[in-house]
Amino acid sequence: MDMKHDLKGKTVVITGATSGIGLATAKELVGCGAFVIGVGRSQERCRRAEEEIEGTCPGSKTVYLTADLSSLRQVRELACNIKQVVEREGKGILDVLINNAGTVSSWYVITADGFELQFAVNHLAPFLLTHELMPLLRAAPAGRIITVSSGSHYRTKINWKDVCMRKHYNVLRAYKQSKLANVLFTTELNRRLGPTSTVRAYAVDPGLVNTDIGLKGTAGIARWIWAKRSKGGIDPAVPAKSIAYLAGEPSVHKSMQVYWKDCKPKKPSAYSQREDVALRLWQLSEKMCGIESSEYGL
Amino acid sequence: MKSSVCITGAAGGLGKAFAVECASRGWDLFLTDLSDTALASLASSLSNTYGINVAYRSCDLTDQASRTELFEYMKDSGLRFHILINIAGVDYEGLFGERTREEIRTILRLNIEANLEMTYAVMKLRDKGEIFRIINVASLAAFYPMPVKAIYAASKRFLLDFSLALREEIRPMGATVTALCPAGMPTTAACIHAINAQGFAGRITTKNVGFVAARTIDHALKGHAIYIPGAVNRLLRFFGGLLPATLVARMVGSRWIAVRYRNNPAAGTA
Repeated sequence: MDMKHDLKGKTVVITGATSGIGLATAKELVGCGAFVIGVGRSQERCRRAEEEIEGTCPGSKTVYLTADLSSLRQVRELACNIKQVVEREGKGILDVLINNAGTVSSWYVITADGFELQFAVNHLAPFLLTHELMPLLRAAPAGRIITVSSGSHYRTKINWKDVCMRKHYNVLRAYKQSKLANVLFTTELNRRLGPTSTVRAYAVDPGLVNTDIGLKGTAGIARWIWAKRSKGGIDPAVPAKSIAYLAGEPSVHKSMQVYWKDCKPKKPSAYSQREDVALRLWQLSEKMCGIESSEYGL
Repeated sequence: MKSSVCITGAAGGLGKAFAVECASRGWDLFLTDLSDTALASLASSLSNTYGINVAYRSCDLTDQASRTELFEYMKDSGLRFHILINIAGVDYEGLFGERTREEIRTILRLNIEANLEMTYAVMKLRDKGEIFRIINVASLAAFYPMPVKAIYAASKRFLLDFSLALREEIRPMGATVTALCPAGMPTTAACIHAINAQGFAGRITTKNVGFVAARTIDHALKGHAIYIPGAVNRLLRFFGGLLPATLVARMVGSRWIAVRYRNNPAAGTA
């Protein structure tokens, strides 16, 4: 299996591509010859990421776009910008969408749309972005949607009474819920696409990785705990290889497995596989994003 | 026609929290703030998620002409209100002598003038078939003179006293006024940074805006006069109230002013 060959010339979008797992994945895929469109929050961070990739892989072709994924309006604009880039440079085909951007917040922060930040960035942004990019993904011979979830999705449920945890916000429960939402989304997406679709979705468990995710929006105990835990974490280059495997390995397309870790399927939580829960979350997400999936063929 | 909740400063951290809380209770909303785009995003999102009607109009509440235009718009819209939540407010923290004349005027115009005019206008548009409730966002700062936040604290004291007095005036019509007096809340990135910088003291006095909005509405629906979120803050208020105001002002000031002079030896001489 020559994985590098399978990614050569492919067009890949990676959100959260300016640091951590996203940047490591961008470097890995660029190294395999893919055309990477990275997404970051600020022009400065995007510029630095572009420079770093150029340094690792001189002469490589990458495009970085800025978007604040906490805003649905900006997610829509990002989708438009990605379409323009893909039409201009990627033959109108998007082979892989990697929903990697994630955030943690110690405090309950409300986005411009009135949603809790982690729920908005970690779940609603991938939900909406995937819908908007679906036509480009369907144009690919084997389109893939890879959403970076987490082992945190185990041992938790969706808080239906207060999905945004407004009244009794807890940073860890909110994060766990958002990672569970990633698995539920992936499961329901595959169900709607159907087994004969050219497009398939996967959720990735990156393991415990040494990144800054727990340092950017946290304080106090949460921040201290992450500072300690992350030191025992693996380098982001490790999950980057797992993501690259899912992005490029042809045999994966035949697999009905939803949840992957270290290039192997892993059993996700039973709750995350419940059809009724996945459907309910999907319908709630449609309402929150103001879309109807049927208009996107889903 | 169903009556609405009017919220000023609706696009800010606390404003959004109140908007979401009211939407979750199935109430129609009328929102105002400076930015039309921010209001548009929030309005569409809330109406999609909660199935309610959300009207909005941007307004510069520090400008009298802009306020007049807002009131005409509200009158012409035919909307009626059962709750008014006055959130819009501002502070330019720092020594009084270092402020500009414009900053001083803006604090007074937004925190006091706009609040009064808004209350006056919306009272005339109240839904006479419902109990009318006003929520004024004051602050824990309303209870003490606060050096370095002198104008702000005084403006909040104004709101607190005015709320208590108005409460008695409109009691005969069954209406209520509730003054919300929170400590600092994690709204903007700057506020969050300030709270984190206070360490443990910051964490035990800080409540999330979602919690504050929900509990405030609960208290307003019961017609309570004052709500201070957080037991620690209520305790601090109690003990602070036992001390003379001059002593409290000195205690609050001694730490803050010393820091300012250390960082800027020319402070207070503008």
